[in-house]
Amino acid sequence: MKRHVRELSVLGALVVLLVGLAIFAPAFYQPQPLLSLLTREAPALVVACGMACVIITRQIDISVGSVFSVCSVCAGLLAARGWPLPLVLPAAIAVGALLGSINGLLVAGLGLPSIVVTLATMVALRQGLNLIRQGEFVNLPEAVQWFGLSQTAGQLVLVGAALAVLVALSFALRHLAAGRVIYAVGSDAEASRLAGLRPQLATFLVFVFVGTLTGLAAMMNLVQSPQIQPLGGAGLELKVIAAVVVGGVAISGGRGNLWGASAGLLLLACISPALTHLRVEAYWEKAIQGTIIILAVAAEGLRGRRGGTRP
Amino acid sequence: MIAGPANTTRGRRDWKAFLLSHEMLLLYALVGMWLFFYFAGTTTNRRGIVVGFGTLDRQFDILRHSCEIGLLALALTPVILTAGIDLSVGSLLGLCAILFGHLWQVAGLPVPVAVVLTLALGAVAGGLNAALITGLRLPPLIVTLGTYSLFRGLAEAITRGSVTYTDFPAGFLFVGQERWLGLPTQAWIFFLVALGVGLLVHRTTYGRSFRAIGFSLEGARYAGIPVARRLALVYILAGLIAAIAAIIYTARLGQAKADAGTGYELFAITAVVLGGTSIFGGKGSVVGTLLGVAAIAVLKSGLACLPVVMRMNAAEEMSGLLTGALLLLALTAGVAPKILSNLRSSSPSSSSTP
Amino acid sequence: MKKPLFRLACAAAVFLALLTAVSAADAKLIVAMLPKSKGNAYFISVKAGAEKAAKELGVQLLFDGPTDSNAAKQNEIVENWITLGVDVIAVAAENKEGISTALRKARRQGIKVLTYDADALPDARSFFVNQATPEGIGHSLMDEAARLTGGEGEFAMIVATLTAANQREWQKHIEARLKEKYPKMKLVAVRPCDDLKDKAQSEATAMLGAHPNLKLIMAICSPAVPGAAEAVKQAGKAGKVKVIGLGLPNENRRYVKEGVTDSVILWNTVDLGYLTIYAGVALAKDELKPGAKSFTAGSLGTFAIVGDSILLGKPFIFNRANIDQFDF
Repeated sequence: MKRHVRELSVLGALVVLLVGLAIFAPAFYQPQPLLSLLTREAPALVVACGMACVIITRQIDISVGSVFSVCSVCAGLLAARGWPLPLVLPAAIAVGALLGSINGLLVAGLGLPSIVVTLATMVALRQGLNLIRQGEFVNLPEAVQWFGLSQTAGQLVLVGAALAVLVALSFALRHLAAGRVIYAVGSDAEASRLAGLRPQLATFLVFVFVGTLTGLAAMMNLVQSPQIQPLGGAGLELKVIAAVVVGGVAISGGRGNLWGASAGLLLLACISPALTHLRVEAYWEKAIQGTIIILAVAAEGLRGRRGGTRP
Repeated sequence: MIAGPANTTRGRRDWKAFLLSHEMLLLYALVGMWLFFYFAGTTTNRRGIVVGFGTLDRQFDILRHSCEIGLLALALTPVILTAGIDLSVGSLLGLCAILFGHLWQVAGLPVPVAVVLTLALGAVAGGLNAALITGLRLPPLIVTLGTYSLFRGLAEAITRGSVTYTDFPAGFLFVGQERWLGLPTQAWIFFLVALGVGLLVHRTTYGRSFRAIGFSLEGARYAGIPVARRLALVYILAGLIAAIAAIIYTARLGQAKADAGTGYELFAITAVVLGGTSIFGGKGSVVGTLLGVAAIAVLKSGLACLPVVMRMNAAEEMSGLLTGALLLLALTAGVAPKILSNLRSSSPSSSSTP
Repeated sequence: MKKPLFRLACAAAVFLALLTAVSAADAKLIVAMLPKSKGNAYFISVKAGAEKAAKELGVQLLFDGPTDSNAAKQNEIVENWITLGVDVIAVAAENKEGISTALRKARRQGIKVLTYDADALPDARSFFVNQATPEGIGHSLMDEAARLTGGEGEFAMIVATLTAANQREWQKHIEARLKEKYPKMKLVAVRPCDDLKDKAQSEATAMLGAHPNLKLIMAICSPAVPGAAEAVKQAGKAGKVKVIGLGLPNENRRYVKEGVTDSVILWNTVDLGYLTIYAGVALAKDELKPGAKSFTAGSLGTFAIVGDSILLGKPFIFNRANIDQFDF
């Protein structure tokens, strides 16, 4: 119980928010808008799972937003050209994996700091996409939306898929050897090497993994509307990283789990609609978001826990 | 004020190491770029005037445009030396700009008083970061991620997003738009701050302690360095310098709006890392940061002067792509010796710790 | 090991430089056009018109802008153009006062300056190519909203960002018109979408939930119109909650045809770009002088000039009846 103080506090904060909404803005709890909210956040949840793994291994990936945009546009162009969805999905994932492997090679292979490498790839990918696409929307054929199913069915599929990823990954992190490796490498890479693990390989694979999940997320986003805006991934990295660290994954590596990250994501994602329902003016949103992040992190610090000072 | 790596051997090896140090390599690259853009980007326009990269006006503009990001990079250098980071400096610039505008226009304070108050408020904001990082021992990345949103949010809340402060007196605008003694006015302020930070980092015990803290936090503590106080200093200083940058920004544009400084922190971090300061702390120099700022500014400005880039109308994108590439190149060059020596020796490589 | 490599690199650089220097100057007039943000489809269509005009007139068009709306970047780009020695600068101002500083500097150097889409301060430019006055735009939007809701009920607005200057202007005129003519209507929410379609969709979904009596969503930022429409459609309220906005025909065609979006108000952005370039070139050649009352622009015909504003015309309403005639 004590080990999961942070996760429980975030969950607590989320519960407080939800209860507050139930009292002051019960209109929030209509099924259809709630389902829409969850569906819209499903891609971010998938990316957050990947990001949590990255951060647990003591790295960071701020290029996920740009990777998301590139995967979306690639998938969209293929779909627009008439490729059937069962082929577009692996294509999107492959693009994401490829971009992730570039990050992985630079970080694990050359030993470069991940924050700077992913900063460079974030900028390069975004500008490259602008150069090629110039901001033009990609129009998708009708059949693509919701996988061709009805809206509600499609939404349930997407939310279900995100939950499946969450559960499977949680299980893997806890019970599979690969999961143990991630925690080990994050806690102390040198010790894990001496113990016979291969931290470099693990780091490389983690970046490929987050790239893969980002490709999947791009696909999940694609089927939600008939057009893709190339700028669409902007701000995703900030949202996901904030969610993951608020949810208890330690920046210094080796600690944290996906449930905390999910709670963090939901908490931050609910701020905006909560403000709308509570009739709070839009210009308070960023201040509130920042405060929540700080409070979530400070609450842990106040318990005297050491958070480490490495970025 | 040369900041090459410390050498204890003498003679030719000293000079060789110096000439191949990160800062010097960056200098060569900078000079090379500058010359390239000079020859490729200077032409005569149809009115017979020499235009493009090679004009004095252009060089002054490069200087003028890079003062704010340069100041933020200077603010970040001590922070990154201590193995910390401050993502909130761009948002703080915005907040300070708004506060300055508010103090002057709404509270009616005279400009100098408003300036001093804004600087104080910037330091206080930096103090918030400091308190959370040193007092509560929270990771700088998360704290400044939070204040990144918080400061911007406060700026938006104060102005309700839309209020813009303008109509500043000409005397104030002089700081941002005119020249003093030949150089753009804000350049003098920038040089002064650079000198101050440079002296602090390289010539005082404070500076040495930053490096020590960055190299090993526990080691520094055991060595008797007042770690908490020094860390607080770097974050408060960062806040103060961000406030200076905000004043210059407002003077340059002649207005203060809540979105001031958006995205600047990334450029500042890029400049610092490009200049050879290690993101893990413990190693770096102010000269390197200045060179990094110059390299990014010259690259951006020079690309926009090349006819081929102009025809593609892709100056912004190309400069983003090439800056990213340059950053990766600089980083790779930094680890190249280590990798090469690892490859040369037959022991398994161990360079995987982040 | 690094030195010989470096020397080689130097030589290569000099060689490349000489190569490119040879292909440098041509004696064409250079017109530099600055959008608010490059990635916006609105400005992409403006660029299309501008390129057509530039080709017809035989001038070189420089089209560059910040990738996202950014006042400081706009200033830097203008100042870069000054040192590049362009002949004409045409600007869509993200920020009135800020950009005027740079524009005045350009004028002092003999460069002709005009604005389009969003104006700067009057003393900073010779002419403003106005697609329609902000007042006209605001009134068109409000009147259309009133027409669709029968003059009473709640409506909400989605804007690009809280800081964008011309959005504020339009909002001001919309609210003024609301107060003046439609006392039975109420604006219940204004939310920004950061120029992102998906965010607009999320905001619209929240609005629909929070305001059950909402009758109309007005999206005055072009990516927001399809975003809001999708939200209304997914909420199952197509037809019950009307969607109107400022947007491009191509982005909204599907929703207009399905009846989710009723009207998309705009002006012909391609024509706007075309007209701006023609006006700019005429300014540079001294064919267009202050005080002129009309201006003829190539194949588009003659336009009225009111004061120092060249008017493209009135805002145009795209709806199901006519949207297929347009492709931008």
